[in-house]
Amino acid sequence: MSISALNTAKDALLSHQTAINLTGTNIANVNTLGYTRQRPVFSTLGQSVEIVEIERIYDRFLGAQINEQMHSLGYNEAKEKEVDRVETIFNEVDGGGINELLSKFWSAWEDLSANPSGQAERQSLISISQSLTSMFHSYSDGLLSVQDDANAWVQGLVHQVNNYVSDISDINSKITQTETDDVGSNTLKDKRAELLSGLAEIVDFHYFEDSNGLINAFLSNGMPLVEGIHTWELDVVTENHASNPSFYDVVFKDDPENVINGVITSGNMAGFLEMRDTTIKGYMDSLDNLVASIVDKVNTQHKQGYDMSQSSGEDLFVATKTKAKNIEISAAIIADINKIAASETINGDGGNAVSMSDIEDELTMNDGKSTFSGYYSSLVGQIGQDAADAGRNVDHHTTLLNQLTNKREEISGVSIDEEMMTLIMYQTGYNAAAKIVTTTDEMLDVLMSLVE
Amino acid sequence: MVMRVSENMKFNTMIDNMFKTQSSYNKLMEKIVSQKEINRPSDDPIGMVKVLDFRESRESVEQYLRNIGGCESWLTITESKLSAAGDLLIKAREVAAAQSTETATAETRSIEAEAVQQLIGEMFALANSKYEGRYLFSGTKSEEVPFSSPERGDKEIGDAAGAGGNTSGVDVTSSGTYEGLVNKTYVVKITNWDWHDDNAWTATYDVSADGGETWISTDDSFELPDDGEVTISDIGIAGDGINLTFTDNGMAESDIANNDIFYVQALATGYYNGNGEEMSVNIGEGEPFAYSVSGEEVFTDKGEGNVDILSILNRLEIALESNDSDGIASCIDHLEAASDQIIKNTSMCGTKVNRLEIAKNNLADLDLDLTGLISNVEDADITEVMSKFAMKEIALKASYAAASRIGNLTILNFIT
Repeated sequence: MSISALNTAKDALLSHQTAINLTGTNIANVNTLGYTRQRPVFSTLGQSVEIVEIERIYDRFLGAQINEQMHSLGYNEAKEKEVDRVETIFNEVDGGGINELLSKFWSAWEDLSANPSGQAERQSLISISQSLTSMFHSYSDGLLSVQDDANAWVQGLVHQVNNYVSDISDINSKITQTETDDVGSNTLKDKRAELLSGLAEIVDFHYFEDSNGLINAFLSNGMPLVEGIHTWELDVVTENHASNPSFYDVVFKDDPENVINGVITSGNMAGFLEMRDTTIKGYMDSLDNLVASIVDKVNTQHKQGYDMSQSSGEDLFVATKTKAKNIEISAAIIADINKIAASETINGDGGNAVSMSDIEDELTMNDGKSTFSGYYSSLVGQIGQDAADAGRNVDHHTTLLNQLTNKREEISGVSIDEEMMTLIMYQTGYNAAAKIVTTTDEMLDVLMSLVE
Repeated sequence: MVMRVSENMKFNTMIDNMFKTQSSYNKLMEKIVSQKEINRPSDDPIGMVKVLDFRESRESVEQYLRNIGGCESWLTITESKLSAAGDLLIKAREVAAAQSTETATAETRSIEAEAVQQLIGEMFALANSKYEGRYLFSGTKSEEVPFSSPERGDKEIGDAAGAGGNTSGVDVTSSGTYEGLVNKTYVVKITNWDWHDDNAWTATYDVSADGGETWISTDDSFELPDDGEVTISDIGIAGDGINLTFTDNGMAESDIANNDIFYVQALATGYYNGNGEEMSVNIGEGEPFAYSVSGEEVFTDKGEGNVDILSILNRLEIALESNDSDGIASCIDHLEAASDQIIKNTSMCGTKVNRLEIAKNNLADLDLDLTGLISNVEDADITEVMSKFAMKEIALKASYAAASRIGNLTILNFIT
């Protein structure tokens, strides 16, 4: 009878010791990112007690929701990062950009029209044209460097995905080995949840935990990234991209022919891919479109006029270079500014310069609906709108993610107050069990003295 | 429902909200220091587009104002030259009136002839006035001296020439009798050419009678044999009697190109070398303004009901010298007409200046409006921003105060 009480007390002491240790672990990890609090589950064992399980307190559905927000947040953050850089390139707030130089270009023609033979006016027209073309070059270079940046990100992110995927499968394989040890596998599961949420920021995927506690993750079209302890690594290939041979396409390492850019629909990587291939390319196309029209329109008008030596005007812009990156003033005209065809007749009037400056107000773009400047301002507006949208989306998803994270913390996070209360509770239990031991000991002493 | 509050929740909530407050605080600070509502396109994309459009309009308006300034100076100079010319004509008329009477003698007339000779010289100087290196009265040929003495008794065809951009290898000469009434510039432009094995070539060409502004397609062609020559009579249908002769001068295939231009000036009788075209600049969107007064209209008889002022002065001088009182008397009426002609053109300058004045006022108003509109969209309303800023500052202070107390109160304070 007494011996059995000692055994019970021993179990109680051990169980409460474990519980206090666990409280210690919880308190120690109060600031650990992604830590899920653990709780001992006491259970009666005959007349005694045991801890049958160490439970992780978490809400499986919240994890999935958080990962979903991570996809959207990652996607919008990538877009915001790049579109902010584009916005800096196109920041015309203080003037000095293409809008102003275009106005100055037409004004230079006006000035020339008032004094068609003026060398100063001709020289200033050439200078402004050169500023305009180099401004187009620098905008185009800027856009290209943002594209390159997005491109570099894609490559880096593919490596990160591979790291995440192999770490997840490592944890999967460790979990199969340590399933018996609750504390160990709980820590691993916490780590794995962190890895999943890190991966979720990069690409969108579906996942489920199988009956053995192993995670399987699949891309949006069902291609597997991790199945238990097996992984499928991603890779990048070049040379095949439609708009630029140095751009990376995402593929599976074991199937380099099959480009899966389109399968990645959310997360950082999707954001960078979309910026590189759609958004920034769109800006670039608009800019090229503007340049091509300016070159065409100006050259056509220039050829209708006559220069200072009574010859018909030549191309003012090099006719074969109609992109923002390469628009160029004809070298022959830079070398001889008298070749600027300001005159409508061979008599040296300023009529052609007037016609040239009239192009400013012509509805030349968007099928005759907007002027050059109007087209350009709406491009700037578009970029501003995209930047504002990306910023707003990031704010929105950050707020949602914070709410969800708080929800998770509410369930899984450590509260010092609570831990202190449980500590007191377990301590009391422990002290009481110890009292049982001493009481039993005393009882045994009493019993022994009877025998004496 | 009682919420479980974990440690991280307290910190996260605090930090997130503090960041939010700080970020709007910084935004307001940026507005205050830049004094601008829009600091990047994303602050207000639609506003940004408006600002850019307004700025472009303002830039144009300022250019138009600059153009108007240039025209005003030109017209002011023109006006003063014309009124000086008017004064000269009054003097000439006084001379004519005095010397047409019987009291005048051959001697006085001869003396006055000298005076008139002076007047003619002054008149030439006025008619050949320049402003900023360009002749006021030579139409669009502003590099050409508009009036040269002596008078052309016959119509003249100038020397033909190729444009400077043509490569050498062919000489061009003019011939024929000009049948036109006013000065014109005729241009032949090669539109298509064919090189033959024997170094001869054929070409189709367009012609223009107005210096190349408008073209007449002839579909005609000529063939220039190697070391030979070819003449285009009447330059297609536009030539008014002018023929151009091309002479091969060792031309190679690489010397010829489409758009090669050959031109010739045709001059009507009189002193005038300029043309009747007007120079213009824009003083508004698609609003060209002809600011030059054609010397042809002012000084010659090419205009409606006009007289040739320089010829009349010359006639007066000759009549004075030859003591021809009838001749002198006949000049008086003409001089009167000449004065009227000058006055008419002077007042036309005045009208033009008025028109510019009106346009300038409108544009200045527009400029002011645009500046206001730009300011409305892009400038920050400092009063409003400042009061928001003060509010945010209080909010930020409050969150710092709250943050400093976080974690101060836990159960640990009570466990001994």
